[in-house]
Amino acid sequence: MVEAFAVASGKGGTGKTTSTLALGMALAEEYDVTVVDADTGMANMLFHAGLADVETTLHDVLAADASVEAATYERFGMTVVPCGTSLDDFRDADPTRLRAVVADLAAETDILLLDSAAALDSRSAVLPIVLADRVIVVLQPTIPALSDALKVQEYATSYGTDVAGLLFNKVHDDDAIDEIAAKTEQYFDGPTLATVPASEAAREARRAGRPLLAHAPSSPPATSFRRAATRIDVRDRGSEAVADRFRSAVIPDSP
Amino acid sequence: MNVPEGRLVHSRVVAEPRDPLAAALDRSLTGYAVFEPQETLLLDAGGHGIVTFRDGVPEQAYYTGTDRGGPSALADLGMPGPYHVELVALDDAALDQIGDHAELAVPPGMPAERLAGDPALAASTRRAAPADRETETPADDDGPDRSDAGAVEAFLDDEAKIDAIKQQARAEAKRRAEEWGFD
Repeated sequence: MVEAFAVASGKGGTGKTTSTLALGMALAEEYDVTVVDADTGMANMLFHAGLADVETTLHDVLAADASVEAATYERFGMTVVPCGTSLDDFRDADPTRLRAVVADLAAETDILLLDSAAALDSRSAVLPIVLADRVIVVLQPTIPALSDALKVQEYATSYGTDVAGLLFNKVHDDDAIDEIAAKTEQYFDGPTLATVPASEAAREARRAGRPLLAHAPSSPPATSFRRAATRIDVRDRGSEAVADRFRSAVIPDSP
Repeated sequence: MNVPEGRLVHSRVVAEPRDPLAAALDRSLTGYAVFEPQETLLLDAGGHGIVTFRDGVPEQAYYTGTDRGGPSALADLGMPGPYHVELVALDDAALDQIGDHAELAVPPGMPAERLAGDPALAASTRRAAPADRETETPADDDGPDRSDAGAVEAFLDDEAKIDAIKQQARAEAKRRAEEWGFD
């Protein structure tokens, strides 16, 4: 295990899952990568990764009905751990078990990417940010998205999680993104990893049930995501230390 | 902006400004909403924002804390909640008394874009707007109004406000850590 990242944004619709899978595929060229749909309340990743029909998901693992291995799928050069969409399963899933699941997965991989909930309003939504070493903040150049991104950073650093960088997504030509990114960086502990242009390609990839980097590898947003991945200075924390940290993380076992 | 008294439709604390904007649209409210941020330390001078609606569609906006109207008032109000919000219904004649002030006017979808960050709500609001309302560049499903860059830069230039947002978030994170049983 090298490092665990939470991919987070305070607001929905910023393209977090697209970003998680894109960064995962790009990092997988160099590392062994596992991506986890840690947004247990709103499963999304299975639709992006062609896993809509699978039987066993993270929900089953969190409900203690399945082993972690049964919910992992090798796809697109990565290990993918999707969440299910059944509300019943969600009710049965114990979010605090995520810590143990993450520890198990961490022992088997180099980089763990946790696709996090688009909210900070519950323990299960914040948990991936608490468990990660660093957070990658996905945002759009709008006032609500920026103020939510600031909140994500302050929550993360309050819980001992650093900021790896900012990913401006769905950027339009006339967003004056260079000025906005430069001003934004003053308030964040991490650099801008990339500004990713708005593109139909991301939507088409989602419809096709394939990650953007598999569906449209030479599209402008795919190129930007690959650039973002090269700018993440992955830190080797030593596998045992990381796994131990997850096992003894700050979350108590029972709610 | 002086607003007449009307019939109080509801008065509640909401986490985000999206809810009252959606409620106004749903019930085709003619009247106004008063937004009072609970965290007054975020504001230059404290105060509240007023957004007027005709048939659920925003027409004018004003923020007392900075005495600014229109898109600037929305930028001043654009911060994390919670807000105390009152929705007040007026008849058309009472709304007309407020007058038509060019400096207070906002395009129909802009409050949903800038206060709530909700392009889908903004698109629904635009669809509900009468054809004679000043047209604005329609945002696509992904993004804000294209004229937003200036407002975003102005927001980022307000160091005191951003510092206050960060302080509030840190305090909230700490408080919740105790609630949630984090060490």
